[in-house]
Amino acid sequence: MKLYKKEGNIIQILGFPNETVEKGDYLLIEGKNARKALIVQVIDVQFANIPGILEELLRSLPDGGELIQGEDFDPLEIAPHITYIQDARLLRCKIRATIENESLSPSSSWLPSRSQSTIKKLSIPTLLELAKVNGKLPIVLGGTKDSMLLTIDASSLDGRLNIITGKKETGKSHLSKLLMLNLIRYGATVIVLDLNGEYISLGMTSDGKRNAYHNKIHVLTPSQNFKVVLKQLHLHVLLSILIHALHLPGTSAREFRTIWRSLKEKDNLTLRELGEAIRNSRCNHHVRDALFSRYYALLNSRFFTDNVAEAMLLEESLFKAGKEGGVIVINLRNTSSIDRQIVVEYVLGKLVELLTSWKLKAVFLYAEEAHLYLRETYWDDIVTRMRHLGIFTTFITNQPNTIRENIYRQADNIFLFNFTNEHDLETVSRAARVDAETVKSIATDLSPRHCLVLGKAVKDFPMVVKVKALDIRTMGETRLFFINTN
Amino acid sequence: MQTMQIGSQPIRLKPRTEETVVAAVDTSTIKIGETSKGMLIAVRGATVWKQKKHYRYLRVGPFIFHVTEENKKQVYNALQRAYFTSPHEHNHNGSPSFLQMPTRIANLLERWQQTMLSTTVTNGLILFDGSLTSGIADTSTKRMKQILDAARKRGNIVLAFSKMTSLRFNGYLITDVLLGYKPPYLFEIAGLKPRPPIVLLGDVYVARLANENYAFRLDIDKEVSIERRMEAVEKLLGNELFSQSYPETLRLAHILCTFTANEVIAMQHFITRKYDLKIINRPDMHRLLFGPFGKGESRS
Repeated sequence: MKLYKKEGNIIQILGFPNETVEKGDYLLIEGKNARKALIVQVIDVQFANIPGILEELLRSLPDGGELIQGEDFDPLEIAPHITYIQDARLLRCKIRATIENESLSPSSSWLPSRSQSTIKKLSIPTLLELAKVNGKLPIVLGGTKDSMLLTIDASSLDGRLNIITGKKETGKSHLSKLLMLNLIRYGATVIVLDLNGEYISLGMTSDGKRNAYHNKIHVLTPSQNFKVVLKQLHLHVLLSILIHALHLPGTSAREFRTIWRSLKEKDNLTLRELGEAIRNSRCNHHVRDALFSRYYALLNSRFFTDNVAEAMLLEESLFKAGKEGGVIVINLRNTSSIDRQIVVEYVLGKLVELLTSWKLKAVFLYAEEAHLYLRETYWDDIVTRMRHLGIFTTFITNQPNTIRENIYRQADNIFLFNFTNEHDLETVSRAARVDAETVKSIATDLSPRHCLVLGKAVKDFPMVVKVKALDIRTMGETRLFFINTN
Repeated sequence: MQTMQIGSQPIRLKPRTEETVVAAVDTSTIKIGETSKGMLIAVRGATVWKQKKHYRYLRVGPFIFHVTEENKKQVYNALQRAYFTSPHEHNHNGSPSFLQMPTRIANLLERWQQTMLSTTVTNGLILFDGSLTSGIADTSTKRMKQILDAARKRGNIVLAFSKMTSLRFNGYLITDVLLGYKPPYLFEIAGLKPRPPIVLLGDVYVARLANENYAFRLDIDKEVSIERRMEAVEKLLGNELFSQSYPETLRLAHILCTFTANEVIAMQHFITRKYDLKIINRPDMHRLLFGPFGKGESRS
């Protein structure tokens, strides 16, 4: 390989057919006697612009498109050299760091010698070592192209905002599961807002047996094993539900507050009493109607109950998970849009309450297709207030444009699976921790289950990994009509 | 050549479609670099023939030579001996000059390929690139005659197409003045008397064989009767494709032997790797002295 050109932080390297370099590979450019080296990543492999190549190709097809037949007597065997030159490649590389005195800096100002530099491939383990991507809490994500393991540290997810995105069936949920199971291995508390019931079998192996994590997986299905009694609710949590999920106007909310306080004073906080109180309220009939419609929405969700024995305390699961690590799966499958919002409002409200009072240390929140249940104001909350309280969110989506731009800008780690749509890639490339060119070039070529890891987890050295397989029962598969036909 | 005359009427032609082999030869040479002692040149030749509506080719080379002032004679004579079994008559101009070596070596290869075609093709049309003029430095009359004789003995007819000509009539190029007729046709150019030792081994025509507004100088073996000459051109019309009035076989031969820039780089790569010869990049003195006003040595 030969250094050809440098423009900004792009280095162009001339490669030859016998040198196997692919997109995503890292190269080390060492200057002779310079005691410096550049770490660059190949973001595109093109044909080198060899003079006369067009004539060469045209010459082989002069007979109206039909290949002209013939023989070549080439005693000096020049033809292999011609092929060698024709197949020369131009590697477009992005400068990722400069090594000087064994320490890395993100600078790209040093220009190595074109004639004296040596260029060699940099293996992922060496790069990880150089970048000090190691720690006491390793998470093996999978294998790199050269069959090396890519290990990140769990602490790189701690206190961070993460995004897992890619088109359908590329392995996003699989990676989420891998991260979750590794986090609980280190005692973390994880909450999953599971839209399609994909995580409910985290505790089962593919053949239906209990796995090592079985006791740490708590599946809460609203209106089934996850119900709440009004007594356990704080007024502000219920008001959040009424205002944000059920869009209760301010005047009606004030009236509700009065009713609630009155019932609480009488220690009569039940659904039945609440209904009665609204009915007997002497407020404007429009307000009463508004309160009634919300009351029936709460009632119909079957998420609320008066039966204390039926109620399931979220705190209990959280405390249990907090002690030894665990995943609380909020199964939102078969839950209507309104009910989903009610449940999510409740869960987030409860989390904030427990975290504010330091009853909980921190939680890792995994939110699948969050735009379907997360209210507008939560997006900003998640990257600011909630993060400081100890809610470290990971968004999982196949529609990157549903996540707000400021989330991308603030994201610490992005796990990017294949996208072919340029519009999608454009959205993802708004992330502050990566350049658009890398995202667009590498993500389009990712095979299923291959993920481009960007951000703090890999110390800003984008790496492609084939996500490790998990022996976990797959759920959330698409129902098919022709399943027995083939 | 003051007595040159052009036929008053065009010779009209009708394509004859009976199956006839059309074969053509061309060679190419290129300087691929300079060394401290001399220059590196490459030559390549291509033979193309059309048979049963399909084109086939045989390409020989590239052959690479390191030519120096010291070895030029030895190289040239060695090639003469290798290409031609009969000893070559003494060249009027002695051994080629250093700068002529690329074209002279390519010419040797071309003559050898023409000889091979003349002695292998039967009842075909053999197309040469250039004229049938001999007696000049790189084309001996004897060798050219031998090639034409050999071709005739096997029932072949040699047709030589010149892409460019310097022959003028009333001050105009002969290929420019006779375009006012419906093609295909020939115009005979008579009365050409070259100065010795130059000999014309063919009769000269202006040929416009297709609708495009291009005409070429066409030399046809003198020893062939007029009827057979016309029959040969008509067979060419019936068996060959014409692109801009130029025969496709000859065009392909030219395309296949020409070196591309890519091949030059490959040959430089080969030489550096295999023979460890250091190619010198000499400064372009025109550019060096005259800057943007220097047109470059390669174009001078």
